[in-house]
Amino acid sequence: MEFLIISTLNGVTYGLLLFMVSAGLTLIFGMMGVLNFAHASFYMLGAYIAYTVTTTINFWLGLLIAPILVGLLGIFVERNLLRRVHAYGHAHELLLTFGLAFIFEELIKLFYGDFPVNYSMPDYLRFPAFTIFGTDYPFYRVFIGLVAVGMFVTLYLLLSRTRAGLVVRAAERLPTMAESLGHNVPLVFMGVFGTGAAFAGLAGAVAGAFFPTNPNMAIELGVIVFVVVVVGGLGSLEGSLVASLLIGLFSSFAVGLDWSLAGLLSWVGLGDWARSVGGLFTLTLSSISGTVPFLLMLIVLLVRPAGLMGERN
Amino acid sequence: MKSRSIGLALGVAVALGLPAEAVQAEALKIGIIESLSGTQTSTGRLFAAAAKFVVDDINKNGGFNGSPIEVIEYDNAGGSTGAADKFKQAVADGVHIVLQGASSAIAGQITEDVRKHNIRNPGKEVMFINLGAEALELTGDKCHFYHFRFTTTAPMRVNALVNAMKKAGELGTRVYAINQNYSWGRDMEDATKAAAKTGGYEVVATVLHEVNKIQDFSPYVAKIKEANPDTVVTGNWSNDLLLLMKATGDAGLKVRFATTFLDQVGNIANAGETALGHYVAHPYNIEADNTDFPQAYKAATGHLPVYIEPQTVNAVRTLGQALKSVDFGGGDIKVSEIAKALEKASIDTPMGKITVRAEDHQAVIPVVVSKVIDNPKYPVDDTKFGFGVVEIIPGPDAIYPVQASCKMERPS
Repeated sequence: MEFLIISTLNGVTYGLLLFMVSAGLTLIFGMMGVLNFAHASFYMLGAYIAYTVTTTINFWLGLLIAPILVGLLGIFVERNLLRRVHAYGHAHELLLTFGLAFIFEELIKLFYGDFPVNYSMPDYLRFPAFTIFGTDYPFYRVFIGLVAVGMFVTLYLLLSRTRAGLVVRAAERLPTMAESLGHNVPLVFMGVFGTGAAFAGLAGAVAGAFFPTNPNMAIELGVIVFVVVVVGGLGSLEGSLVASLLIGLFSSFAVGLDWSLAGLLSWVGLGDWARSVGGLFTLTLSSISGTVPFLLMLIVLLVRPAGLMGERN
Repeated sequence: MKSRSIGLALGVAVALGLPAEAVQAEALKIGIIESLSGTQTSTGRLFAAAAKFVVDDINKNGGFNGSPIEVIEYDNAGGSTGAADKFKQAVADGVHIVLQGASSAIAGQITEDVRKHNIRNPGKEVMFINLGAEALELTGDKCHFYHFRFTTTAPMRVNALVNAMKKAGELGTRVYAINQNYSWGRDMEDATKAAAKTGGYEVVATVLHEVNKIQDFSPYVAKIKEANPDTVVTGNWSNDLLLLMKATGDAGLKVRFATTFLDQVGNIANAGETALGHYVAHPYNIEADNTDFPQAYKAATGHLPVYIEPQTVNAVRTLGQALKSVDFGGGDIKVSEIAKALEKASIDTPMGKITVRAEDHQAVIPVVVSKVIDNPKYPVDDTKFGFGVVEIIPGPDAIYPVQASCKMERPS
């Protein structure tokens, strides 16, 4: 019972963190068809900007300024870089963002050094939100979860209830038609990219205070974020939420489960033989918990290639 | 016709003038094949900087074999395939000695490449000085005459930790082992289990996890809490250690950490108060150094020696000592002679004496057990915390027995 509850709590908060970072990515891909390799770099930039502001002025101001600056950077990237490559197709856009990811990483190393920096939340936020089964649950994890939920609600309302959201959705489905109806589609794309980047920046600012802020942040989280987006369905916000929660929960539960093929075989009496063979048979689920998201992605791609909630197109 | 004869005359003049330069002493070439890009850059660069510090010193005092020692850096991009690639390039560049330390996986690749190269190219051997890769197999079934390890191994660190912590009464009777799932992590797990009897503790549970992929350690903290240990022994480094400690601190779990890489740059800054009271076993602690080495190092590189830099300095200094005892008279360099000399070399360091064990080419080095304290003489990472010395264990007491799997073929 304790294991169930603790793992669920951990899984949900981790999943919400993943959602924060991947929401922008799936939005950008859904709207523009651009798989933004630099998305995790926006996350990292958000963390570093927030660190700089926190150490000079104020933590909360950092949470405010980081997404704005990263969003502006996103707009700049879209307007001056991506737009030029747009005519050549998606592969070129992908390559451009790939190159950008490298550039951002090296720039960060140039200004902040190779080692992790001490970006952490102010002391008054460092208290347990509640104590469950004798373990403290840090408030900041709950805070991250709340920010993530707030993000989802904001994005969802923006897209479904506002006029701008209507235009964005129209531009996503039929861009030429929307343009011929008089809407400024390039501006919409720029806004979407900027918003996606801003959300990644916010995620970085919030999560960077909890997880170590270092130049490898982008790589570390970047791969998982892609898995989330693929599993959830490219372009689907709800899918992204579901996928990130699933991955968070699966990874969290996997750590506590020492299941192995040998254990499975012991149900038919072959347990001892399997254990003596060793190798793959004695591999426990807990030791490959970090691989679980990728296994999930594999299964989803085999069964439903468009992702859990993606559209077949 | 006239221009042609002038050209000919010039050519002859140059050709006559050249031989005076061509007969130069063969320079010793050291290739540093390190992780200079990718996720382990921060560590790789430290290895390279420390090695160059000593080589610069040797060159200031006349170099070797009549010319300065050349150092060439190769970036293995943090992977074994990159390392294999760069090794081929180093061989093509005429490198005699390869230095590396930032990963046991990469060291495993390099040592095999060196061994195979030496079999295929007798007389043109290459030597590999392992500055930081601690997997036992490198002096076990992968051992060979041209590999030297100048760092500790899992049993050395674990035994030092267990003995020191037991003496200080801070070990307890229940120990949990959490490690990364590769050669080094498995070595640590085995060493923790092996020391249970002498340490007087029970290993309550062990777990292995992926290397630097886990972002969320709270499930592991839940598992640790379930097992209720007094001490957690871990060989984790980088994010794996930091995230584990932070998650444990956040959950309010009271365990003592016995680590091997707590002194990695950035750990104390990020862990802050959570790190207080935890232990680390490492080859060097600046608090115990009363020589002028720290300041000399700072003058040359801009920072005090930290993390794996001191052990690298010691390794290259031992090499320098070995070089003093061989003389090629300005002629061709025979790496086999250098290797034989390195086997017999020994130096004195601020932590104690270092020698080389001939059976498996493991350097016998002292191990320091330290504890994170408040307001030390040398605070680290711009915080007010640092590492207080608990015990310095001399080399012969810290060393592990020669592994039976090491069957070294010696050159005649």
